[in-house]
Amino acid sequence: MSAGGLHYSTYRVGGRDEWMMRIGSGPALLFLPPLFEEMNRTRALLAAVMGTLAGDGLSCFLPDLPGTGESERALEEVSWQDWRDAAGSAFEAAGACASVSLRGGALLDEAAPVRWRFAPATGASLARDLSRAGLMTEGGGGYAPSARLLDSLGAAEPAPGKRVRTLRLATDRAEADLKLEGPPLWRRAEPQSSSELAEAMALDVSNWMRSCGVC
Amino acid sequence: MTAALNDEQEVDSTLRAVLRDVLGLPEAQVAEFDESSPLFGALPEFDSMAVAGLLTELEERLGILIEDHEVDADMLESFGSLLTFARSKTLQ
Repeated sequence: MSAGGLHYSTYRVGGRDEWMMRIGSGPALLFLPPLFEEMNRTRALLAAVMGTLAGDGLSCFLPDLPGTGESERALEEVSWQDWRDAAGSAFEAAGACASVSLRGGALLDEAAPVRWRFAPATGASLARDLSRAGLMTEGGGGYAPSARLLDSLGAAEPAPGKRVRTLRLATDRAEADLKLEGPPLWRRAEPQSSSELAEAMALDVSNWMRSCGVC
Repeated sequence: MTAALNDEQEVDSTLRAVLRDVLGLPEAQVAEFDESSPLFGALPEFDSMAVAGLLTELEERLGILIEDHEVDADMLESFGSLLTFARSKTLQ
């Protein structure tokens, strides 16, 4: 299935097929999106980065995690282990040699020997965001992950590895290999993109993958 | 994380930058905020998800940790109340 340079394939997890989107062809990168609401907010940014890298001769895969996007599973039934399994399975199905993750996606990139991360978040800070979103409203935000998933999320940290490159926004005080100017698009209620940020991200991904011998 | 900021003016400018970045407000509008400018309940952009984003961004940029029990409508009511809170966390 394809349209306008987009191709759709599936990967298998928990006895079911889940979708992933691909742009481009060539050495494969698995994109791991942010979690929950941040995923929607950064879809345009990720698509822009993927499009630029596709033009650079890479194929970019973006999976729908179980309980998100086109998945037929309900988020309430999904466990943290399901998402870890999904990332591993998608990595294999894509034939990927490296991962590109944003925010909470970095908590799921263990399967990749070469990992590029943008603004990686700890599970604890994401869990705090979710509970805070519920502080000011009755009944919480729009997302209803299970308590079990939230417990596991709260303990999750980006896994250490030998070939990991970390970028952050210039406004973030945490350590990084490189800092880029740009807005924290994952905070914006109205989904937005930034072509400058997307281009700077894609350039660094491309250089890093080349230096690692991935492409 | 590095040491917390210790300059009142820097907390002020960091708070304005976070309001711009998280709420997507125009720079000119945020520059005009004074202590009495109302925030939560007064700005359509400032919904409950935005509160979460605002607090987490403040933590990341100011090098502080905000406890849930410290968060309430009073603290978010105006630019002044939020600034007072941010300064008390940062300059302690």
